[in-house]
Amino acid sequence: MKNHSALPILLLLLTCGVSHAEGGSFEAEVASIFQRRCLSCHNDDEPKGDLSLSLPSTLAESGFVDSDDVDSSYLLELITPNDGKAEMPKDAEPLSSHEIEVVREWIASGAEWTEARRLEPPVVTDRDWWSLQPIVSPSTKENEQSRPPRGEEHPVDWFIDAKLAEKGIRPVGQADPITLIRRLTLDLTGLPPSPAEVDAFVRAFRDDAEVAWSTAVDRLLHSTAFGEKWAQHWLDAARYAETHGYDKDKPRNNAWPYRDYVIRSFNSDKPYSRFVQEQVAGDILFPGDPDGILGLGFLAAGPWDFIGHWEVGESKLDGRIAKHLDRDEMVSAVFNVFMSTTVQCAQCHHHKFDPIRMEDYYRLHAVFAAVDRADRVYRGLPPEQQQRRDSVLANINRLKREQESLTTQINRKVAAKTSGIDRQIAKLKETYGTGLSPEPQYGYHSEISKVRDETKWVQLDLGKPRMAEEVRIIPAYDQFNNIGAGFGFPTRYRVQVSNDAEFQSNVRLLFDGTKNDQPNPKSGTVLVSGDGKTFRFLRVTATKLGERRNDYIFALGEIEVTSEGGAENFARGAQVTAKDSIELGVRWGRTNLVDGIYFRELSDPSALTELRELEAKRAAIEKAVRPPGIDERLDEIHQELDRLNQELDGFPAGSLVYAAATHFPRGGRFTATEGKPRPIHLLHRGDLRSPGDWMTPGAPPLWDEAPAEFAALRTEASGNRFLAEQPLASSSNPQEDSRPTFDWDEGEARAELARYLTRPDNPLVWRSIVNRLWLWTFGAPLVGTPNDFGRGGVKPTHPELLDYLAATLRDDPDGSLKSIIRLLVTSQAYRRSSEIDPHLSKLDSENAWLWRANRRRLTAEEFRDSLLASAGVLNREGGGKSFQDFVIEKPEHSPHYEYHLHDPADAKTHRRSIYRFVVRSQPQPLLTTLDCADPSISVPRRDESTTALQALAAWNSRLVEFAASELGKRMEDESNSPDHQVYFACRLVLSRPATPLEQAILREHLDRHGPRSLARVLFNMNAFLYVD
Amino acid sequence: MIARRQFLRAFSGSFAGLALTDLMAKDGILSGQHHHPPRAKRVVQLFMAGAASHVDTFDHKPLLNEKDGQPWDPGEEVELFQSTPGACFASPWSFQPYGESGKMLSEIVAPLGDVVDQLAFVHNMVGKTGVHSQGTLLQTTGFNFPGFPSAGSWISYALGSESDNLPSFVVLPDHRGLASNGAKNWSTAFLPAEHQGTIIRPTRDEPIADLYPPESEFITKASDEAGLAALKKLNLDHARKRSGDDRLAARVRSYELAAAMQLSATDALDVSSEPQSIQNMYGLAPEGPAVDDSTINEKAESEFFGRKCLVARRLLERGVRFVQVWSGNDNGFPRRNWDSHGDVKRDHAPLALGMARGASALIKDLSQRGMLDDTIILWTTEFGRMPCSQGSKGRDHNPFVFTNWLCGGGFKGGIYGESDHWGYKPLDRGRQTQVYDIHATILHLLGIDHTKLSVRNNGIDRRLTDVHGRVIHEMIA
Repeated sequence: MKNHSALPILLLLLTCGVSHAEGGSFEAEVASIFQRRCLSCHNDDEPKGDLSLSLPSTLAESGFVDSDDVDSSYLLELITPNDGKAEMPKDAEPLSSHEIEVVREWIASGAEWTEARRLEPPVVTDRDWWSLQPIVSPSTKENEQSRPPRGEEHPVDWFIDAKLAEKGIRPVGQADPITLIRRLTLDLTGLPPSPAEVDAFVRAFRDDAEVAWSTAVDRLLHSTAFGEKWAQHWLDAARYAETHGYDKDKPRNNAWPYRDYVIRSFNSDKPYSRFVQEQVAGDILFPGDPDGILGLGFLAAGPWDFIGHWEVGESKLDGRIAKHLDRDEMVSAVFNVFMSTTVQCAQCHHHKFDPIRMEDYYRLHAVFAAVDRADRVYRGLPPEQQQRRDSVLANINRLKREQESLTTQINRKVAAKTSGIDRQIAKLKETYGTGLSPEPQYGYHSEISKVRDETKWVQLDLGKPRMAEEVRIIPAYDQFNNIGAGFGFPTRYRVQVSNDAEFQSNVRLLFDGTKNDQPNPKSGTVLVSGDGKTFRFLRVTATKLGERRNDYIFALGEIEVTSEGGAENFARGAQVTAKDSIELGVRWGRTNLVDGIYFRELSDPSALTELRELEAKRAAIEKAVRPPGIDERLDEIHQELDRLNQELDGFPAGSLVYAAATHFPRGGRFTATEGKPRPIHLLHRGDLRSPGDWMTPGAPPLWDEAPAEFAALRTEASGNRFLAEQPLASSSNPQEDSRPTFDWDEGEARAELARYLTRPDNPLVWRSIVNRLWLWTFGAPLVGTPNDFGRGGVKPTHPELLDYLAATLRDDPDGSLKSIIRLLVTSQAYRRSSEIDPHLSKLDSENAWLWRANRRRLTAEEFRDSLLASAGVLNREGGGKSFQDFVIEKPEHSPHYEYHLHDPADAKTHRRSIYRFVVRSQPQPLLTTLDCADPSISVPRRDESTTALQALAAWNSRLVEFAASELGKRMEDESNSPDHQVYFACRLVLSRPATPLEQAILREHLDRHGPRSLARVLFNMNAFLYVD
Repeated sequence: MIARRQFLRAFSGSFAGLALTDLMAKDGILSGQHHHPPRAKRVVQLFMAGAASHVDTFDHKPLLNEKDGQPWDPGEEVELFQSTPGACFASPWSFQPYGESGKMLSEIVAPLGDVVDQLAFVHNMVGKTGVHSQGTLLQTTGFNFPGFPSAGSWISYALGSESDNLPSFVVLPDHRGLASNGAKNWSTAFLPAEHQGTIIRPTRDEPIADLYPPESEFITKASDEAGLAALKKLNLDHARKRSGDDRLAARVRSYELAAAMQLSATDALDVSSEPQSIQNMYGLAPEGPAVDDSTINEKAESEFFGRKCLVARRLLERGVRFVQVWSGNDNGFPRRNWDSHGDVKRDHAPLALGMARGASALIKDLSQRGMLDDTIILWTTEFGRMPCSQGSKGRDHNPFVFTNWLCGGGFKGGIYGESDHWGYKPLDRGRQTQVYDIHATILHLLGIDHTKLSVRNNGIDRRLTDVHGRVIHEMIA
């Protein structure tokens, strides 16, 4: 690979069409220095600091160089390091002293420049690379030489054997039948073969090895376990997990339908091109088919920055950065996984090795400019209703945007006028603050309602009838997010008492505030006098709820019912019931209403009065600055939102999948585009503060016929203009005045990309998948870098074989992956022994030419599944919600996923590992130690490490202890004979009987320490961990 | 370049590249062939999760006292993470000069006054965004999105471990929860698994996951030992019959190392063997980790952070290459981190005093053991906090400027890079320091050229410093 590093510059010189000799003596060298070190920030498109080096002849004019007084040239000053650090290149290593000298001499010699020689940032344009060549199709006549003869030798072996012969290597022989059936079963299903399956195969193998083999292959390819195993391969590459990652790492409760979709797609042998298309644009290409939407789980599978999207939002730069990173993640996934192309390298500059320009990369951003990651309905909502629902959602989102913009507008105006009062208020609170910070036991909190006028109540049972002097109602004080006093206090409410718990008879009204809106007492207390008669039950009924952000609740901090003279509080510890209630950790709960804990704001009564006055003043100012009509408008919005939310509730809920989506309810600041593409710019150096040209959808032209432009722009009349998002730096908006409507049918753009990906002439997509299939069967790929077929990657060991397989899949009308897998595992090459011949190992230590089989360790999931299977507890229930082998603590904020609190004996968690709930921030410790994939990145290939921590995990983990215990019981149930117990357990764990030496060692251990301890040893044996 | 070993291990069928020493990351890719002679051997990263306020700790801003309560106008539009900018907000604490340099420190980091002349302050650090997860990842991995190896993993990958039986990269998380991004802050991403940060929780019964056998009806000391002995015989026999495959023998050896780790980890974590004077210096509480934490308080924070610092020293002594020490958890409730939106005074005082006591003790202790010369200490956080108030008592995020300090391992005390008079942005906006520069300088002192330590992943030669970074030579003694 080293020889490629010089390539870009070389190519560049060719593109420029200027030979070294043509310019001045230093010109070529200077050009190379400028291009490598300066041009990405200083070119005509982006002249940072008003300096462009696109045409260095302009340097003298602009005063950067002075040939008469070389050493006072500003350019030299900028690049000359002082104490190891130079002004330029910014934030990078300085130029070498040789490079500086070259520039110096060039200036000294007059800074001459060939006018025609414009410098462009380095770019690779040629497609002279194996993976970009058309796939050599074995069906064409001219390729007869590179095609296996029909019907004689297995085509895979024909290619492999030819290479081996060429290298002078004679492969090792075939593995024995037990090794073969264990290998095949684990490779195709991820589970060990049962003893009965082993026996049946060995019998059949003796009769006719070939028939036995192909029968076994077919049986396993048709088992549901096949999809469960192969989906894991796909999900590794698809960076699938069920939490968002980043801060808070919230769960995605509807991610699993995508996992089931992948399993089902493998099991039903879905044509590969359809599989690809569904995962990029299934909603557009296959409307009405649930798989078309489920497939879009792929785009959404990677991490998502909840805070950046939900709390910050796109009105702020940080939010737009989050959105940009999010799109980059999607674009990269599509090209890494389907195309084995590292398109993301073109984010800050043109790709250094491959023919991908920055424009190509940002055109892909445009393809995904309208999609986000969110739950969407894939089944159970007819299309016309879906449409109607989308339009309701769109209206809700529009109104919420307006509401937010109005509120922000007011808040800004108010803040400008009240800072003096705010300061006084803060002072008062500082001086007279009780010093008590609000304790977390806030009080009672109803369920959240979407409408304001819902009636809710909370009720106290004093235990027996009491004579009360006064009822004191203290509003809730929510410290969270600075919400403060009066949180959730109802706008209209009444206070009633009775001796009837149902409030059917003898109901007396103590206070009626239901006729008109009541002021929020904030940190004050509402005092309601008793009526001189006893009562046992007290009920506060809200008829118009308190407003939260965009919904409504009923919350109170404390209720006291005082005896005459106030000596006793009858309410303390009373039984509290409510129409509904949220019981959330320590903060909210019915019992908190009578726990004696509430927030006392100020210690001094007169200070409190002063505070109220200031607050009233503030309210008056607030009222005065509110533009006329704004409250009416906000009220209208409220009512309209209420109505729309009710309408929304009327639609069937449908089944949800977490997928790429354009329509979803607004949450926080996370807003759906409703299909309108966000404006996409080329970003200089990948920086949102340096936007270049507007981009339209397209993809890199990686082969001759590749379509590069995807969607026509809508005209002004039919199109929408942009969302609120505007070019980010006011200084640089290249087409402010003459900008066309950069709007297109986003679905059509994705559909075009899906078609681009699956075109028969696409040289990458078919090679990419067959290379993965090879990796997933043989344990090592033909191309060593499955996600990178570019010049940064590795070349294929067997290019003809790769093309043969790629063409076979491409030309297969069924696009059948199973057919390719069948082809691979029926080869002799697959069935070789894994024995290492020391002589051959010297010739080819990596086994690149496949003279033997690759011994491999069980994957993390295979280890876990095999443990449970051998223990006899594996639950084969497929599909549906994921099991969780952790306990979630603190779910309300940042969930803590505590694996060490999980009970390994919990039968609900004994399903196959593919159905495990995958957490990003806190990965499963046992499986992570065993090298399971990191779901934050596309993992084309698992690492296979051997570490001391693995030994600790395999020997000491509670899951192994549990499985050993279960297997030990099975052994005892099976037989009283120790020898038979050993035989039975070895067949379950190792798929074979023990060797005589093993038998002796195991038998001795069994006799002294019992079957469960024996099982623990078996689960740690290399014979179990490795697949020969 | 694809590192040779990385290349070899990429083929699961290959054994030539797998040395037995891989088990403990004993050898790094640069073992015995540093790019240049190293000054330092090991690193401690002290991470203040939630974003520690520079203007309340190390970066004194008298102007804030002068303008306290007045409208804050830095002369440009300010976009904040949560709030709209409030008034100027003086630090609730007084500052005093310390050391010969007379460096001003806030009273809540006063314990660091004793060693202040040894600290190399960088007050013009800038981040990329004000989002915790991104800022934290940027400081731990050099990228503000997931998928990249932690600095500790890179250093372990380059230099390996000096210990036979302890992991080369150890993480001491806040026992109350993991910071933003959780394990992503010490993950290896595309580097080999043995360079992953190993979590040690010194106060749990099981400080390292699966270090000891679980509670069990059938696992006894006898069955445990006999089982391991039988296993060794079985696995050796298995390996003997499959010659040429180093992995099989390596796995046999891994059990021996695991046993050795049980002993050495137990020993390393046994803080009780330290003299009382040392325990006091680190601020350990008489009641130990069970100290009352029901409201945030200085005593508890000193115990928590001090104990981790003391454990860190014991690990470093035993050859651990990189130790990451966390102060503060996620944004759970009640708050136990540095994200003081609501009340700087309440949260920062106990956290900072606890931190300063532990960090100061660590520096003195390493110094008296002659280890400070080749141990780098990096104090960092995801970003700083604003000079203006949020509400009346809090501060919002400030990714535009914040502070790092470094100590030991060849760093020279002093101030390198200043913030403006508000503590809002770098004083000289053309000169700012980024995490790349800090990492480049640390690698430099470890004998590593940051531009040459790279691994190809998905088509790009990845570095800890991305395509950035310059060694800050003036910080080097």
